[in-house]
Amino acid sequence: MSEENPILRVRDLVVEYAVREGVIRANDHVSLDVAKGLVNALVGESGSGKTTLVDAVMGTLPPNGYIRKGEIYFKDKNILKLNPEERRKIRWEKIAMVFQAAQNSLNPVMRVAEHFIDTVLAHKSMSKDEILRKAEELLKLVRLDPEQVLNAFPHELSGGMKQRVIIALSLMLDPELLILDEPTSALDVMTQHYLIRTLKEVHEKKGITMLLVTHDLPVVAEIADRVAIMYCAKIVEVGDVRKIFYEPLHPYTHGLIHSIPSIIGDLSKMRPIPGEPPSLLNPPPGCRFHPRCPYATEKCKKMEPPLVEVEKGRLVACFRYA
Amino acid sequence: MATLFAATTILFIVVHNIPGDVIYVWVYDIVETYGVSWEEAERIARVMFLGYEPDKPLWQQYIDYIRNLLRGNLGYSPTFRLPVNAIVASALPWTLFILSLSLSTSFIIGVLLGMFIAWKRKTIIDPIVSAYAAFTDATPDFVTAMLLFIFLAVRLGLFPLKGAYDAEIVTPGFNLPFIANVLWHAALPVLSYVIEHIGAWTLLMKGSAVSVLEEDYVRAAIARGLRESRVVTAYIGRTAIIPLVALIAISIGSMMGGSILIETVFTYPGMGYFFAQAIGRMDYALMQGLFFLIIAGVILANLVVDLIYPIIDPRAREE
Repeated sequence: MSEENPILRVRDLVVEYAVREGVIRANDHVSLDVAKGLVNALVGESGSGKTTLVDAVMGTLPPNGYIRKGEIYFKDKNILKLNPEERRKIRWEKIAMVFQAAQNSLNPVMRVAEHFIDTVLAHKSMSKDEILRKAEELLKLVRLDPEQVLNAFPHELSGGMKQRVIIALSLMLDPELLILDEPTSALDVMTQHYLIRTLKEVHEKKGITMLLVTHDLPVVAEIADRVAIMYCAKIVEVGDVRKIFYEPLHPYTHGLIHSIPSIIGDLSKMRPIPGEPPSLLNPPPGCRFHPRCPYATEKCKKMEPPLVEVEKGRLVACFRYA
Repeated sequence: MATLFAATTILFIVVHNIPGDVIYVWVYDIVETYGVSWEEAERIARVMFLGYEPDKPLWQQYIDYIRNLLRGNLGYSPTFRLPVNAIVASALPWTLFILSLSLSTSFIIGVLLGMFIAWKRKTIIDPIVSAYAAFTDATPDFVTAMLLFIFLAVRLGLFPLKGAYDAEIVTPGFNLPFIANVLWHAALPVLSYVIEHIGAWTLLMKGSAVSVLEEDYVRAAIARGLRESRVVTAYIGRTAIIPLVALIAISIGSMMGGSILIETVFTYPGMGYFFAQAIGRMDYALMQGLFFLIIAGVILANLVVDLIYPIIDPRAREE
């Protein structure tokens, strides 16, 4: 698909955290393209480095995290090379993000309306009336009652409402890329479903590129166009959503797809991946998946498989296809 | 109200159990000053304290005291030969002036500094402030006051030795020379408080701000591309200051306690100064009156904090 025209290109990114036990490499030579105009999903288990990747893109890594090497291009501009002021301007104006704990993303002592005003005024001059009018429009888009919500304090809203406020807020400056980090994880199933529908609508109406970070495969199947699978700080497979779900190549992807429980299916047919995900503090040598992989060979234990393009728009890091 | 009543009762009991009898302080004074005999002096002293009846049973004295208190009469001070109300009326404004000036100065500077340290994380100011706070917390405030007095007032003569203003030079009122003179006299007492309290405020604010720093909404504010100054003030400072506001009331109490010695060092005519005099002179009425005011002040400060808390923290508002 539009692999030739990615809006965001991550190249060879290495991100580490300094912890008491040593250094955790949460992103190990990660390369990823985010295709323009599509819903891109980044899928992986907790602790696989998904959030680290998007934090590196936003420049919101925790204080003990740092980028060791690599480049992040936003439309051919390496954003890691920008000065702080240029970087600040890109945030939200070009790349907006809905955080993992979106419920806590609002300042508890500020009214919702002030968040909208604050955000816009940090980037451009606009009258308060104009800002609020636009905010009302966006709140309606995410199916909230603007009058009720704008004057409320965050603690007066429900979790799902706050989540939708953040989504409205993220669209305030018409960003070109919207990153959603686990947007559904803290919500109940009904609210989740509702939110996904809202996101779909937003995507259709605004044509905005999305990067959806999640471990929720049904959600991915519902709205994503392209999928990247992350395992233990590395990207193991990239492809279109149908290919990933129907013809997974990497043994990990295969295991992941087959571990989704289904309501009508027989639970005994579910095949969880054996073993535990390895610790990032001390990852296994060679292919990170080899201790859990049914096809592992001697080669897998010693050498790391590179991420190679096996067909157009389809990348996989496994010696079975290299 | 109940607190106030309980406090005054305990106060009465404690004050009246201080060993010693006020009359002999005076008798001794009269003997020293006029060179009369002990018996003669005792007679004069008893005449002088017309309202003082040490032979009345204590419970009777207590009832008199409470009755007067309810009428707003704090009693009569034999030491100064003035009603306690009059002494309080002249002393209270000075103490309030000094305390509010010191509290606001140390609070504002401490909060700003604490916020800055928390935001910048590993700066060299951090350990310096911690060491400073430990040092000043361990130093009694009157020691600080005495050092300032000795070096800046006595040795260098930069500041006045006593009083709240020079009555010979300026006339009280809303005129510039008077205000300047008042500030000049207040400078060292205020400085003593500020030196003593600023480290603690800074550390408290730093601790509070560091915990807010970890909040998701701060990260979200950065991601929204807000300017650093805006993030630090409106997102970190604004929420981090909330727990500190509650501490202001407590701080007022401890500052009033500190005023006894600080005002005495600078011979500053505030409540603390008269308090020290009252204790030295075994002046029960004055002691009780001033104690009562300090207690009322602390209770009032707590009440004010309770009232403004919902304003600064919307989460504390009732639905």
